[in-house]
Amino acid sequence: MYGWIWRHLPGPVLVRALTAVVLVAGVIALLMFVVFPWVEPKLPFNQVTTQ
Amino acid sequence: MTTLDTGGPPAGDLVSPDEQPQRGDRVRTVVRGIGELLITAGLVVLLFVVYEVYVTDIVSAGKQREATSELDTEWNDAAPAAPEQQRVERFDGLGEGAGFAKMHIPAFGADYAFTIIEGTTDRSLEIGPGHYKGTAYPGEPGNFAVAGHRVGKGAPFNDVDLLNSCDAIIVETRYSWFVYRMLPKKDEVSGWATGKGTDPRCQGVAPLGGPYADLVGQQIVNPSQGEVIAPIPGHRDAPSVGERATLMTLTTCHPRFSDRQRLIVHAVMVKQWAKDPTKPGETPPELKETS
Repeated sequence: MYGWIWRHLPGPVLVRALTAVVLVAGVIALLMFVVFPWVEPKLPFNQVTTQ
Repeated sequence: MTTLDTGGPPAGDLVSPDEQPQRGDRVRTVVRGIGELLITAGLVVLLFVVYEVYVTDIVSAGKQREATSELDTEWNDAAPAAPEQQRVERFDGLGEGAGFAKMHIPAFGADYAFTIIEGTTDRSLEIGPGHYKGTAYPGEPGNFAVAGHRVGKGAPFNDVDLLNSCDAIIVETRYSWFVYRMLPKKDEVSGWATGKGTDPRCQGVAPLGGPYADLVGQQIVNPSQGEVIAPIPGHRDAPSVGERATLMTLTTCHPRFSDRQRLIVHAVMVKQWAKDPTKPGETPPELKETS
């Protein structure tokens, strides 16, 4: 999977490495700001009120 | 990861174009793909822990700061026309998510202060400890009930399990300071009068009688036991306002990192200080009980 992505990134190694870093940062941002806030209330970790 | 070799010369240099990929190669590719997916999933879960424990703290700290400065602005607003008569707390018409009081627990350090937010929705609790709508307000007879996160989101109630009987929970409102103290724990009730009850800090704190006879300072309950925030905690039937004790109840999750149960702390009001308009910044002596 990662090998396939690496082979399909354009440019010389340095450019590819930079693109890879940007891609990883994008995925982390997507997780932190979109996916985790959405999934968090659905998980049984942090309910503090009584019903 | 396992693909550093592909950073070298293109694959075509090593394998002639007409060579058919071996069956073993395909199996290896599939197995490697699955392995990479599993590692990725593990990293995502780790990242979620980082999010839950640290990132939400940062986000909530910003929101708490904002709520506190909003409240400070409101409190510092020009004094009402007839100051002496008007210095009465008003809590009606508070919107969900609005800050209306600050809580201090000196046992957690002199700098422990959180702005209490109206309402207990996820959005409100992200800002700070949330007041259960419909329960009493600070200083009112009844049960002033507040929920707070124990993990992440500022974790205002991180150490609530470490509170001891007689520890002060001080609620600051626009015109007053209300000093609540935690009630005796279950194992302290029987010997209270001769035991811990003799501590000067415990003045005004004693097992409550009458309908409150079975009320203790700390309890662990199931999430469905909503009656812990009732005027008489643990009882669905409410007494008339005149017979109500002035209590405060904190609720948070228990055990930490789980929502299986709730940790409940009950406190009783022992003192009330009116803020002196001529001496802003004056604080009650209970705030210095940091040990």
